[in-house]
Amino acid sequence: MTFDTWDGDDESAAGRFVPLYVLVNGRTAPRDSTLDLATQVVALPVDTRRLEPEYTAIVHRCSTWMSVAEIGAYLHLPLAITKVMVDVLVEQGYLGVGTPAQQNIIDLHLLDSVLAGLERL
Amino acid sequence: MDRTSVKIVVAGGFGTGKTTLVASVSEIPPLTTEEILTEASVGVDDLTGVEGKKTTTVALDFGRITISPDVVLYLFGTPGQDRFWFMWDELAQGAVGAIVLVDTRRLDSSFPAVDYFERRGIPFVTAVNRFFGECDYTEEEIRGALELDPRVPLVWCDARDRPSSKLALVTLVRHAMKRLTARAPA
Repeated sequence: MTFDTWDGDDESAAGRFVPLYVLVNGRTAPRDSTLDLATQVVALPVDTRRLEPEYTAIVHRCSTWMSVAEIGAYLHLPLAITKVMVDVLVEQGYLGVGTPAQQNIIDLHLLDSVLAGLERL
Repeated sequence: MDRTSVKIVVAGGFGTGKTTLVASVSEIPPLTTEEILTEASVGVDDLTGVEGKKTTTVALDFGRITISPDVVLYLFGTPGQDRFWFMWDELAQGAVGAIVLVDTRRLDSSFPAVDYFERRGIPFVTAVNRFFGECDYTEEEIRGALELDPRVPLVWCDARDRPSSKLALVTLVRHAMKRLTARAPA
């Protein structure tokens, strides 16, 4: 009889003891499908003491507006996981969400301000 | 809440200078975010010979430019390997458009990107990166080789140079605006 043994190969050098899928209850996609990697979120003034540390880290990181991609990069979390965790936090009222980039209609007024912003660079 | 994100995709073959361009205009040093592919997605990834491998990591480099107090532009470089097309879809969806970087020593490496944006009707400009040295080709020759639609702008650039990268971005936004106006009912 053979047993599966842990080979010691863990997520990071520091060792991640909780597998990432546990943190997100096995969910693989955010409930809010408009949440994309450029969508920005910001921490709302609520008590985070009940949250697990991985979630608290996200809320703390969002003291100013921050995109899903940035959160993933700063906290070394894969994008799919970041998206689901951010979605949970938005749903539970810890994070406020901005207008996602993922819209089909890009309006001229917005493009006008992007152009002006780029020209100021 | 009023906080708007705008995306521009920076595409092109492997080693054409995508991250260099992002770095030259971004207000933060380019960040890298990772997506992990599991066995569910290996259908598109050739794992012959490495069957023991369970996951593959795709890295995405990106930068940001604050446009105004409530608008931030994110510049996403596409993954270098062509096989990660599913990532392109997420990057391209809702994007203003794309800059396709072209290295004249390897024109063919930018074919897939040109083809991708053309097929989906996503506005794009081609930026011929000259930091590799003198370019022996004329604009007509490059357009011909890439089979570019005459309406697609072509700019010469040095991806290391901020004004030059800025010009490529401005050209793209103008192009996207022109297409939007042309499509709108009179």
